[in-house]
Amino acid sequence: MKSAKLQFLTLFTMVFFLIGCSQEAEIAEEDTSLEAEPATVIDPATTASIAGKVSFKGSAPRMRRIAMGAVPECEGLHKGKVVVSEQVVLSEDGTLSNVFVYIKKGLEGMTFETPSNAGHLNQKGCIYTPHVLGVQAGQEIQIHTSDPTTHNIHPMPEKNREWNTSMAPGAKPLKRKFSRPEVMIPIKCNVHPWMRAYVGVVNHPFFAVTGVDGSFELTGIPPGDYVVSAWHEKFGTSEQSVTVGAKEIKAADFTFQG
Amino acid sequence: MPDRPQPETSNIPKDPVINDSLSGLFLISAISLMGTLVWAMYDEFYGTRPWKTYQKQFQTQYSEYLANSIREQTKIESTLRDSLKFQEIDKMLNGAQEKASPLVAKIDSEVNLVNRQLAAVIKEFQVARGEVTALVYELEVTKNKKKKALLAKEVADAKKGPFEVSLPTSNKNIHEARYSYDEIEEKFNSLQALRAKLLTDRSEVLKEATIFRRNRSSYLQENLAGLSVEQLNGLQEGMRTFEPEIRQIHVRDVDLVDRCYSCHVGTDRTLVPPQVVLTEQDMDGKAVFASHPSLELLQIHDTDLFGCTPCHNGNGRATSSIEKGHGRYRHWLWPLFPKENIEAGCQQCHSNDIVLKHAKVLNRGKELFQQKGCVGCHRFDGFDRESEALISVNQLIRSVELEKQKNIREAEKSEREADEAVEDSEFERLNVRSINLRVTNSNLDHQLEQLELESRFLMREQKKLGPNLKEVRVKIKPEWIPAWLKDTHGFRPTTKMPAFRMDEKQIQAISAFIWQSGIKGKLPSHPKGALSRGKELFETRGCLGCHAVGEENSPDSSSFAANLSRVGEKDNYDYLVRWIHNPRERTRPYCPYEKRDLGPEDYSRHGLPFVFDLENSKCPNDGHELQVQQMTVMPNLRLTVQDARDIATYLITLQSDSASYPPAPYLDNPDLADEGKALVRHFGCAGCHEISSFEEESRIGTELTKEGSKPVERLDFALFTHEAEHDGWYNHKGFFERKLSDPAFFDKGKERAPLEKLKMPKPNLGPEDVTALTTFLLGSVDSQLPEQYFFHPSDRRQDIQEGWWIIKKYNCVGCHQVQIGQRSRLMDLPRYQDPDWKEQLPPSLIGEGARVNPDWLIKFLDNPAMDERKINQNGVRHYLQARMPTFNFSPGEIRKLVRFFSALSAQPQPYIPPKPEPLTIREQRMARQLFTHPAAPCLKCHATGDKSHDKNATAPNFLLAGERLKPGWTERWMLDPAGTSPGTAMPSDLFRKEGDRWVFAGPTPPSFKGYTKDHAQLLVRYMFQFTPAELRRLTGR
Repeated sequence: MKSAKLQFLTLFTMVFFLIGCSQEAEIAEEDTSLEAEPATVIDPATTASIAGKVSFKGSAPRMRRIAMGAVPECEGLHKGKVVVSEQVVLSEDGTLSNVFVYIKKGLEGMTFETPSNAGHLNQKGCIYTPHVLGVQAGQEIQIHTSDPTTHNIHPMPEKNREWNTSMAPGAKPLKRKFSRPEVMIPIKCNVHPWMRAYVGVVNHPFFAVTGVDGSFELTGIPPGDYVVSAWHEKFGTSEQSVTVGAKEIKAADFTFQG
Repeated sequence: MPDRPQPETSNIPKDPVINDSLSGLFLISAISLMGTLVWAMYDEFYGTRPWKTYQKQFQTQYSEYLANSIREQTKIESTLRDSLKFQEIDKMLNGAQEKASPLVAKIDSEVNLVNRQLAAVIKEFQVARGEVTALVYELEVTKNKKKKALLAKEVADAKKGPFEVSLPTSNKNIHEARYSYDEIEEKFNSLQALRAKLLTDRSEVLKEATIFRRNRSSYLQENLAGLSVEQLNGLQEGMRTFEPEIRQIHVRDVDLVDRCYSCHVGTDRTLVPPQVVLTEQDMDGKAVFASHPSLELLQIHDTDLFGCTPCHNGNGRATSSIEKGHGRYRHWLWPLFPKENIEAGCQQCHSNDIVLKHAKVLNRGKELFQQKGCVGCHRFDGFDRESEALISVNQLIRSVELEKQKNIREAEKSEREADEAVEDSEFERLNVRSINLRVTNSNLDHQLEQLELESRFLMREQKKLGPNLKEVRVKIKPEWIPAWLKDTHGFRPTTKMPAFRMDEKQIQAISAFIWQSGIKGKLPSHPKGALSRGKELFETRGCLGCHAVGEENSPDSSSFAANLSRVGEKDNYDYLVRWIHNPRERTRPYCPYEKRDLGPEDYSRHGLPFVFDLENSKCPNDGHELQVQQMTVMPNLRLTVQDARDIATYLITLQSDSASYPPAPYLDNPDLADEGKALVRHFGCAGCHEISSFEEESRIGTELTKEGSKPVERLDFALFTHEAEHDGWYNHKGFFERKLSDPAFFDKGKERAPLEKLKMPKPNLGPEDVTALTTFLLGSVDSQLPEQYFFHPSDRRQDIQEGWWIIKKYNCVGCHQVQIGQRSRLMDLPRYQDPDWKEQLPPSLIGEGARVNPDWLIKFLDNPAMDERKINQNGVRHYLQARMPTFNFSPGEIRKLVRFFSALSAQPQPYIPPKPEPLTIREQRMARQLFTHPAAPCLKCHATGDKSHDKNATAPNFLLAGERLKPGWTERWMLDPAGTSPGTAMPSDLFRKEGDRWVFAGPTPPSFKGYTKDHAQLLVRYMFQFTPAELRRLTGR
């Protein structure tokens, strides 16, 4: 009796295995689709661009000098040059650097491939370069140090995982990533409290950080209605709606008031 | 055949037997009987057994669920089996098995031979042993010498044998052997030993394969969530043979029978093991079949011991309908707790806990009971325990004193009698008695000392929820008082003070009494401070851990202490300065013995200065312990007078634009005072406030400790009884909810004089608060469960239980994280979202018991400045703007807190610190070099005592480590700070693993070359032997 039961059970299990096997191919396909959604196909012949300039009007705040005096190994790296905070970097023409410009709305439902190249953040002379960095969610960020002092890299995100890793002189580049979009993630070094960088993480490739001339260009955008947002560390955010048609190049300038 | 006489049809009555037929009736009866039978059968099988239908449905749903799971799991398992790792292990296993197989086969054949030989020997040996043993026994019990000798010979003969054994040999032959008894015994033992050896050899040979096999199955187990296909198949097989039956839990000890499983089949863990979690969706939307939502709770409360109804209520035995089973009918006193009040079930056994991990709503209810001042009028076991403890300690003191007096009298009497004794022995006896009595008294003195200390400390622990109304004349702008009483919740929507139903006249009388009974005094006057600095200090020193500014309109969001948005409209500036500087400072001390507030005259009469504080707390008149502090939980932030002025200057500006208060000349009308006093008594104001001549006033409300089990008839539904019965809220829940939402509700329609109306004021509660308090009251029952069910732990869980009361009392959680998952109030303030301000948050106390030495913690809690003179600072984290205040904890409270933290971290009490291993000269040099090495940033963030350096410090001074920390924690902290305290400024990855030791991750000084010990441990040892001289050496100052 018992053995009969056992036989039945074995048979039953086998049948199940067989059913399982026969369905495998189909299910495996499903699995891959779950892992990474295929990137939305964008016809390169239709893509548009949004370009513009970020400027500042008003009396520019004076940037305070960074006193590295207490840390001779940082001070020494600047050979007597005065280092000022990069909170507001303004050109003589009034163009504003370090503004993170990105498409905030209008791309819902589209997915984009995660770039295989890494974003880079350097620690040199106890200063982060660049001061503002943009990456895509999931994109690798490499953090380098060439300083003779130990740093710690401490991003303080709201939506991503926080970490705080020490990097000794001569350490190999640290490879990390942020898996979710977040504008912006402040990064600081607890050992050298003046060190500050910001990382903007978005889930598409349409972002830029302004340089000295305050200009930016977002290219390869599928035609559509968008909200473009500009973020600045001190002056906050500014947004505007932009509609682009196929192959169009639209201008979108931002002006922050002080 | 003669003719029979014909019956006269007309005259003779008809024979009913022949003529009347009842068949119609019988038919009807038969049909109806038949019908009844069918009905009874139907009822038997379906009507009164709804659970059968449930179980059948469950069987279908669950089988379907299992089939799906098996499908999915099979897929996962086969993917796992196909995985490289599995294949690799499998290959190694096969290799190992192949390698071992020739040897195993050889051993197996040897074992086989030994087994056959053993079988042959055993057959003969057992018979022989039986025979010999029997003879030997007879020999032993025989007393007759002759017979003994005879038997001895018999034994010897029996042992000679010979015993014939047909031993199989290795070449398949049979070897016929003849043995004596000793020989066969020897053979048997040697064969057994040989077999054991062979089996050991076999497992040794297979060792490698066994390890691989174990690896393979643990690989499967680790990567496979939930049950394996094999296990799932077993469950499915069980479902196939499943027969509906009553499923029940029977706890014999307490005669508890719960048949809830009969319908809630998914909760029966014999059918659905804990690894399988059935949700409503899994069971086709049928919530009745879902698993219990909290497995964690079930692990603590094993259903085999607890059943279901002790927690959930309901009629566990009833199976005939949902209403019956859930006990929701007129004659069942304990209906199932409604979903929103489900945690009421925790209360009956957990009444000693103020914080329960799994009962958020109940916790909130208990917190509200305290916070909203319910406890001011309603006694409840465990709440406001200090006042009650004080009374009982004082009673104990009196009885011990009486015992002492009695002992002295007895001793003196014995001495007198001893002196007069005739016999020496009599003298001896009486003398010893008198000596013993005096020693007894000296022991009672030790006890008395402790009791008096306890009484003194309880006086300090006793708190009032509301402010001290004796101080109104120095504190409050008089015209504000009536305005406040008139519209309490209008002035401060989040206030704890309930709204009383008083008319204008009553308000005037109460205001007049309160005003006139206030202490007349004059406070030192202070110049105005700096407003913006005051605002900054208010927002950063930690005031916002308890207080709020800016109106939050819902009472649900009320802060622990007052919302100060309009404080400037009511308070005097000078009083605010005193209060902020030291909230415990009183204008006059109160003597409970004389029952009055003492003034300078009482002190000068005895030639004493008018000084009263925790050190000078005895009454100059009679030596009794005085109330020298304000009975507030607000701590002393050890601010300078200037800080206090600045903050007060800011606070006094907090006013609404529209504030205007008409003058109230009646406040000084002495004719109103008596009426006011009667009303103060009537409304029970002294439950929450200190009021002159009401210090000993007892509570005016009903005790609520067992309110949930009060018969519903004794709850006063007044004119609403019928309506409540009709609308289905004639129960405890219906009563509590209405009473809490609107205490005047049950007065509706009643013709009552103003003072005969229900006194309960309207508490300031949101709908969620009402639910929480209702939950608490529903669960507050006179439990019939036996003692072992109650949570009265005697191990470290008791320390946790008691500690929470202190944590809650002083709102430690306003600034600190105490429990995993809990957030402090400060953490969520906008200011502390900034990356730089995040580092300004007070430290998390998760793991505090493992972090700090309890002896140090005692000192710290007593004086967080860690310095007798420099008090305007934090003792450990000088760099924090927020300041750990002085709470003036009593030693009892400190003890409870220290035990609480130790218990939370599973630390033994008392703590005996390990002796640090001394550093060699080389190690000292190494550690010193590393500390000052550019690669080791320790001294960048950790304070050194140097002012300019410490301006930027964000971590404590190493000088504190030895006394403050525990070395084990310190090492774990250095290795994984982010894991210990997420978000900490202390960087991770300072060390890396090298073999089985940790080494510093960065470049190390040359002295480290050749050092083979653990670097983290070296640094811990260095830190724990750190001296001021060493620090000076490091910093070069």
